[in-house]
Amino acid sequence: MHELPFTKGIYRSVMKKAEGVNAKDINRVVLEIGVLHDFIPEFVQKYWDFISKGSIAEGSKIEIRWKNAQVQCGSCMTIYEVGKEEMNDPKCPNCQYEFGTMLSGNELRIVGIEIVKNKPAESPQGE
Amino acid sequence: MDIEFIDLKECILADNEGDAQEVRDLLKEKKVVLWNIMSSPGSGKTTFIIDVIRRFASKPMVNGKCLRFGVIEADIESTVDAEKMHALGVPTIQLRTGGGCHLDAAMVMEALKKMPLDELDVLIVENVGNLVCPAEFDIGATLATMLLSIPEGDDKCIKYPLMFTVTKAVIVTKMDVKDFFDFNLETLEKNTRRLNNDLRIFPVSVKTGDGMETVMEWLNNQITSNL
Repeated sequence: MHELPFTKGIYRSVMKKAEGVNAKDINRVVLEIGVLHDFIPEFVQKYWDFISKGSIAEGSKIEIRWKNAQVQCGSCMTIYEVGKEEMNDPKCPNCQYEFGTMLSGNELRIVGIEIVKNKPAESPQGE
Repeated sequence: MDIEFIDLKECILADNEGDAQEVRDLLKEKKVVLWNIMSSPGSGKTTFIIDVIRRFASKPMVNGKCLRFGVIEADIESTVDAEKMHALGVPTIQLRTGGGCHLDAAMVMEALKKMPLDELDVLIVENVGNLVCPAEFDIGATLATMLLSIPEGDDKCIKYPLMFTVTKAVIVTKMDVKDFFDFNLETLEKNTRRLNNDLRIFPVSVKTGDGMETVMEWLNNQITSNL
């Protein structure tokens, strides 16, 4: 359910940008989400389909790129990355210590949009 | 067809982050600490808050005065929690999210406009009971803590990692029923320290009072150092 307010925010930003660059259609919206977030991609797509109905974004696809979290080891202070699969059991690759502090993993960004551009109006001939 | 990829590089919650900063700026000016309390439903937030306010009421600070509290209650429906706070004589605003599963900074700002901020030191936000969404939305809080009750289990950190990284302390409530559940405090500590090595854990029972003095001392330090 929490995907809904996020999707509304994404729609506002995407449409504003699309209008600014004279887009005819939006094909794809690319998001970068930190692995700490509990996002279900299917839900985001479902809400997106609902919100974007009747707009130039109708039928477009949401692509989520998961961004690994950075963790600082609580023992040797090494900074290492943790993916979604290792979230439950992160270990420092240097000293194997299992406790640390999350430095990132909370990202929520719109990377960009793939659009089809409107052709610029041709100037009338012979004038 | 002329297809192009356009960069946005924009934060999805940019609007909320701006609102949260406004909340922070206003409360800094008013010298009010905003304390966000999050947890799942039924963990004992309201009971804990009432007990903390009562304890602070009998605990004068160095200048001889007691901390003055206000409460923002957030619920999907109903005003039952706000009524309990009113009965305590504390300025209270009830926010009903009407189905929304969290508070955002704009909602908190609306509540602040109705609060006597000049007469407060601490404004407690009892967030909507939910371990997912409240962690996602910055409401401009100075201090964020969460409650985790014994019946919920010691594995919540694995299931809801974000919540455990945005809070300074986990207050483990209902310790008086611990013997009836398989809750292991060491397992909780191990799971949380994997994500947030600095997180403090305070086992308490509001019913028996066990652990409350320790958490009160920590809260007092957190609040007074931010005033």
